[in-house]
Amino acid sequence: MFLAWKEIKYNKLRYTLITGVLVLVSYLVFFLSGLANGLEQLNREAVDKWNADGIILTEESDINLPRSNMNIDDFNGKGVEAYAALGQLNAIASVGERQSNVSIFGIKEDKLIMPDVTEGESFSEKGEVIADDTLQEEGFQIGDELEISSSDTVLTIVGFTDNARFNAAPVLYTNMDTLQQVRFGEAADNNEGVVNGFVVRGDNLADVSVDDELQVVETSTFIENLPGYTAQNLTLTFMIYFLFIISAVILAIFLYVLTIQKVSMFGVMKAQGIPGKYLAKSVVAQTFQLAVAGVAIGFLLTILTGFFLPAAVPVAFDYLTMLLYGLVLIAVSVLGAFISVRTIVKIDPLKAIGG
Amino acid sequence: MPALEMHEVNKVFGTGHTMVEALDKTNFTADSGELIVVVGPSGSGKSTFLTIAGGLQTPSYGEVMINGHNITQMKEKKRSHVRLHEIGFILQASNLVPFLTVDEQMTLLDKVKTNNLSEDELQDLYQSLGIEPLRDKYPSELSGGERQRVAIAKGLYSDPSILLADEPTASLDTDRAFEVMKMLNDLTKKRNKTTIVVTHDTRLLDYCDKVYAITDGEIQLQQREHGNS
Ligand SMILES: Nc1ncnc2c1ncn2[C@@H]1O[C@H](COP(=O)(O)OP(=O)(O)OP(=O)(O)O)[C@@H](O)[C@H]1O
Ligand SMILES: [Mg+2]
Repeated sequence: MFLAWKEIKYNKLRYTLITGVLVLVSYLVFFLSGLANGLEQLNREAVDKWNADGIILTEESDINLPRSNMNIDDFNGKGVEAYAALGQLNAIASVGERQSNVSIFGIKEDKLIMPDVTEGESFSEKGEVIADDTLQEEGFQIGDELEISSSDTVLTIVGFTDNARFNAAPVLYTNMDTLQQVRFGEAADNNEGVVNGFVVRGDNLADVSVDDELQVVETSTFIENLPGYTAQNLTLTFMIYFLFIISAVILAIFLYVLTIQKVSMFGVMKAQGIPGKYLAKSVVAQTFQLAVAGVAIGFLLTILTGFFLPAAVPVAFDYLTMLLYGLVLIAVSVLGAFISVRTIVKIDPLKAIGG
Repeated sequence: MPALEMHEVNKVFGTGHTMVEALDKTNFTADSGELIVVVGPSGSGKSTFLTIAGGLQTPSYGEVMINGHNITQMKEKKRSHVRLHEIGFILQASNLVPFLTVDEQMTLLDKVKTNNLSEDELQDLYQSLGIEPLRDKYPSELSGGERQRVAIAKGLYSDPSILLADEPTASLDTDRAFEVMKMLNDLTKKRNKTTIVVTHDTRLLDYCDKVYAITDGEIQLQQREHGNS
């Protein structure tokens, strides 16, 4: 648009400032969305990897895997396509000075939960584990003998797998016997068959009948109930939505002040017969141009920052989400311009020209 | 059909104590090819007269016809259309857009209206106004007089049938003022336009076809011994 662009060119500083605000807001929005996405992945990666439709937990567990305890014979796979028993334990693994939170998964070498080994080999002997490769990034290696907190058992890393974090902790996959050993030590024999849940795959989970003390939970519900997951997501989403409102308000105020300053100029143009619609369109077009520029620069800055972030920062950019948020930012900015449109439409050319 | 016709028009501001009759009952016509000067002291109602003639405000009573169209009854949107196509304003206050160069002020009109002056005609207009070298300058880079001349060019660029000028020579020296009047007169004659100039500057009367005097809202045709035609 002619007027919009000419004015931006003439008042470079003014419009650079407005664009600057938009750049910062969109940078923050993109970054937060990356953080939200990263934190999400951190929590659910291992669950996504199961590619399962649901999980069977005890009623009293409050959909919390570690707190759910049942016997391996409690479910026999009736009514589902595939299932796998899962034992799970949170612990701290250490080798010398190096230590890390881990989530130990005890599994049968069942296809459902068994991860693909990306390096090394799969566990076969008692005490062998496959570890998530973030542990590798932290310096753990194949052959490392891990001491496990509150247990005398020593676990040996024999292989690595990728994308295997559960509730923010890297997963160690091992067989049921090893997990029993870690969990119960000497008392392992007395606690035979204890598992935390069954991961199931099937179309009609609602129809699957289980014992009274058990419940079938859909995977999405299970994920939402991971400790901290929903709270974290809500907080970040709330911040992002709030930023949308902030950017709309800031821009609306900016544009409104500018419009007020230009009332007499608009009035003169209206006196001349230039339609108010043309002038209003020009302001909207101007906002659109500024918003697109601001969001685009914010986007590039975010991507650029992504390259320099240490691996420890849990940021993972999801371009589709970013694109969506970018569009929302542009949309709310343009919305902000509409307050000014009203003002322009109402300008009385006579008052504006004086004389 | 007269280009501009005012029938029984008056304008009253306020009510009761504060009532001001800015324009008394006025009958007025202007034909094509006429350059009319309305002269009067400050506060006499010149701007009121001109803005009513140009459809910028509606009279309290009476009707205004522009090229046969009654603009008094029109909605603002339609009147704005008439202003754009039929009327050229040269306003008392500068009517230039600050962030557009002289040339771009004209381009803006191209964006909203066709049938503006051709490039050659614009060139001639610039030349006769002495602003040819200023085409790429912004209003802030011009002197008051130069701005006024650009405003005149802008008023003429849309090739309106009626040109309304409020104190067009206010910020010009005598020589320039005469030149501008001569130019307005030439344009009026050559392009068969109707030009009305309101001013308190009595120096300008030599170049016009008719002179009206306005005092306290009362407008009266002046008898003159010799016109300029
Ligand atoms: N909006 C208004 N409200 C009230 N009174 C007004 C209004 N506009 C003009 N007037 C009054 O109408 C009268 C004529 O005003 P107008 O602006 O037409 O004078 P003018 O001849 O153009 O004066 P100047 O040479 O100073 O520009 C003045 O007394 C003015 O105070
Ligand atoms: Mg006036």
